[in-house]
This record gives sequence, structure tokens and C-alpha cells, in this order.
Amino acid sequence: MSNMKWTGLAAGALALGLASPALSHHSHAMFDHTKEVTITGNVLNFAYVNPHGFLDVAVADASGKQVKYWVEMSNLTNMVARGITPATFKKGDKVIVKMHPLKDGRAGGSYTLITAADGKHYE
Amino acid sequence: MRAIITATVSIAALLVGLSLSAPAQAAAAPTIFDTPDFKQDRALWTSPAYYKNNTAGQLRGMALDIDAPEDATGQPAGARRYGSEGTAKLGGRSLVSPYPFKTAKEHYEAWLKEANGGTKHTKATIPDWSGRWDGGGGFGGGQNPPSETVKLLTPQYQEYYIQELKAGSEGRIWGAGAFCLPNGFFGSIGAEEFLVTPEKVWTLSSGNGSNSIRWIYTDGSGMTPEALRFPKWNGESIGFWNGDTLVVYTNQIRGWKGGISEYTDALEAVEKYRRVGDKIEGEITIYDPNVFVKPLTSRLNFELNKETNPALRPLYNTCTDTNGPSPKVFMDAKGLLNEHLSGEGAYQWDVADQRPWGTALTESDRRYKAYLAAGGKPHGQE
Repeated sequence: MSNMKWTGLAAGALALGLASPALSHHSHAMFDHTKEVTITGNVLNFAYVNPHGFLDVAVADASGKQVKYWVEMSNLTNMVARGITPATFKKGDKVIVKMHPLKDGRAGGSYTLITAADGKHYE
Repeated sequence: MRAIITATVSIAALLVGLSLSAPAQAAAAPTIFDTPDFKQDRALWTSPAYYKNNTAGQLRGMALDIDAPEDATGQPAGARRYGSEGTAKLGGRSLVSPYPFKTAKEHYEAWLKEANGGTKHTKATIPDWSGRWDGGGGFGGGQNPPSETVKLLTPQYQEYYIQELKAGSEGRIWGAGAFCLPNGFFGSIGAEEFLVTPEKVWTLSSGNGSNSIRWIYTDGSGMTPEALRFPKWNGESIGFWNGDTLVVYTNQIRGWKGGISEYTDALEAVEKYRRVGDKIEGEITIYDPNVFVKPLTSRLNFELNKETNPALRPLYNTCTDTNGPSPKVFMDAKGLLNEHLSGEGAYQWDVADQRPWGTALTESDRRYKAYLAAGGKPHGQE
């Protein structure tokens, strides 16, 4: 747990400096940073927006039923810096998402690593 | 006789020492992490030990309750294990204003007099501050423990400050941006661009969920007449040039959160800026007698941004792109767009509440206590 990967996304979320134009949008305390889970599914929607983007992913549960996962991403500046463009994820693309899950058990989390359909990794 | 007195004094001193040390051994002083009621700890708020020597930033980092590795500079990253010892250092730069002025108005007028009414620039002589700038700075608290900030605040605002620190360390963080609310005056002083003309200076900045603009009138027209003044998010600003230094006076600032703590409608500020090569060296002095026991001064340092990637140009941003529209507006049963009144459904905003974060944190305190009383696990043990 103490060797967990530190993504910089959460660090940005914690940056509560007050005169910076890169003010964080919200705290990441709702995500369980002691856990990392992996989901595999197909992109339903990729929102390339500020204050932070998000990816909706359809994931089949144990019974085969499709469950919509919400994956919180970073702000546009960070996404550009990490090579994520508006065309990186398209509807229907298969993606593998590693993320810190929501603490309250709902289907969602804050990503740490996404493997896109072409096999490229995005932190 | 002298020996008897000495022995008596020594025994008495020993007894006093025992009586003083015994309670300390019996019960360690509470910290912000284990106190049953932070309001009862006022005498401890000015001690770094109360925060286990954490900075305010490190306390907020405990919201994630994980150990973060050190970054490239050797400094620990923001995340912290809940309740762990911090690395605060006493003796950083003092925020107490070095100036003798009691009010911002007095401060501004003294500098204006010193500048003989100010330098009247033309388009040919006005300083060139074009380009995009990084930085700003402000009143973040730095490496000092919160005990140093507490000493700068009036008693009521000390309590507000500690309430927020404690809640923040437990992951209960209220941020204006999280609710798509404005960042207030201190969100506007981190300018990215300075548009400088002889009559007026505009400062622009682009946040992830909002943008900010200030208009600084340097044409000598002065402030809006007294009868027409009211609190505004970024206040109203006038200024003058003293050679190549811009001096700014801002009043009518709407009370909000930001800077070193929260502030009231009484906040006023005097800033000065001067370009030196690829830097703009600035400074801000703030006055709010409701909140600060003395005027405070901080540096505002900007550096020229030489980024050339067009994808990283400033953007106009709206928080609603991620979070959607206000819950105040809804479609009624007749298909008309209508408006909720305060307190209806999801629209709980009370426009008359001067401290919505205070209302929210007090409710958060109540819910967290109830959660613990019902057998819920404390933060860090879920």
C-alpha cells in the first residue's frame, strides 16, 4: 500500500493553493487510494472537458449484464501533457482501466492507467 | 538553618515538579486527530504539536490517507497517512505586513503621494508586460505549521480555521470549485496575462473550471461613488504607475474563502507589480480587521511562460461542462421551465448565507459524528 503508484492526478486534486490558475476542482477523498482495481470494457462516451474529463465504460458483470462505469480523468492541460487527445478514446473502443474505486461501492473510480484500443498506455 | 531551608526548598521543588509532571504522564494533550472536541483545545491551537508538526497542506493531504513518495525535489508529495508526523518548519518568512499603515486606503494614498500623483504613461512609454505568465503565489502557509497562521487570526476565525483543517484532514473538504462556485478574490490574483494600456490594466486567468478577469483603472477616475458600492467577487480596483511599477488598490471585495483563510466584505488590498526581465515581481498587502489581527503581506512572483504548444493556450472554461447546469431550473408538469425556491428538492442554496462552507462543515461534523456513533469506522480505517 505504501508503494502505491502516485499518479499526479491526486496530487493535483490536493493542490489547494489559492492564487493558481490550476485550482483543483474537488478533493479526491471519495476515492479509495489504498486500492487499485482493473476493469475491461467498451467506451460509451469520452468527455474531453474541463474541469476534468471522464470516460463512461460498459463492463460485463458476472452474469453478463452490462454495467456502466464512470472513470474520472484529469483536466485538459494534464491530458494534453500526457498525450491524451479528443480522438484517443472512441465509442465502442475496448479499454482496460486501472483505477482507485469509489469508496461507497458505486461503479466508478479515478484512473491511474488506461490501455487504449491500440495498446497504448495513458497515465 | 540555611541547609534546612535549602533542603526544604529542594523537596518542595521536587513535589511541585512531581505534581506538574504527573498529569502530563497520565493523559497526553489531545491533537487535532484525536480530540473529542476541537473547540475545547483553544490553548493548544498555537502549538505545532497539536497538528503533529504537519503543515496545513499536509493535513489536507491526509484526505487520501496514503504514503506518497518523495518527489524529484526530495520533498514529500501531498498525500499523507492519516495522523502521521509532519515536516513543518518554524521560522519561514513572516506574513505580517512590514508597512506602518492601518488601512489599505491609507497605504495606497501614502504611496500615491510618494509617487507625486503617479507617472502619466503614453502608449510609447507604458511598460511591456505582454506574454503569458506562470505563478502568482499568495498566502498558502508554506512550510510553517498551522499554529503560525492561527496567531494571525482573530478568535472567531481561528475557530473557523481549525474546524476546516480538522474536517479537511478527515477527507471532508469543502471547495468552492467543487460546487462550481467562484474562487473569489484570491483566485483572481494569479494572473496569466496582463493587458496594459495607459488608462487601464486588465488581468486575465484561466482555471480548469472558471476564468477570471480584473479591470484596474489607472486613468485617475477613482472608485465608484460610495452610495453605489457593493461587494463584488474580485472587488473594484484602481491604480497608478510609479515609473515602471504598477500600484493597485482594491476594495468592495465580496467575503469568501481563499488566501490564508476565509475573509469578509471588509477585505481590502494594495498590490504592486514590476517587470524585471522575464519575471514580474509583485506583492500584496491585505487588510481585514474582522479576520486578521494585523495586515498581512505576501509576494506574488510571475515568470514568463515560454510554452509554444497551441493545445496549451488558455481556454474559456465553465465548470458545467463536467457538472451540468444549476439544479435551480427545472421543467414543471406543464412543460414550462420554472425555478425551484431555496430549499426545494436538490436546490438547497441559500443566497443569504455568508459562509456556506461554514454551514456545510458544521453539518459535515454532525454527520461524521453520527456515523462514528453508529459504529462507522474512522477515516483511515474503513
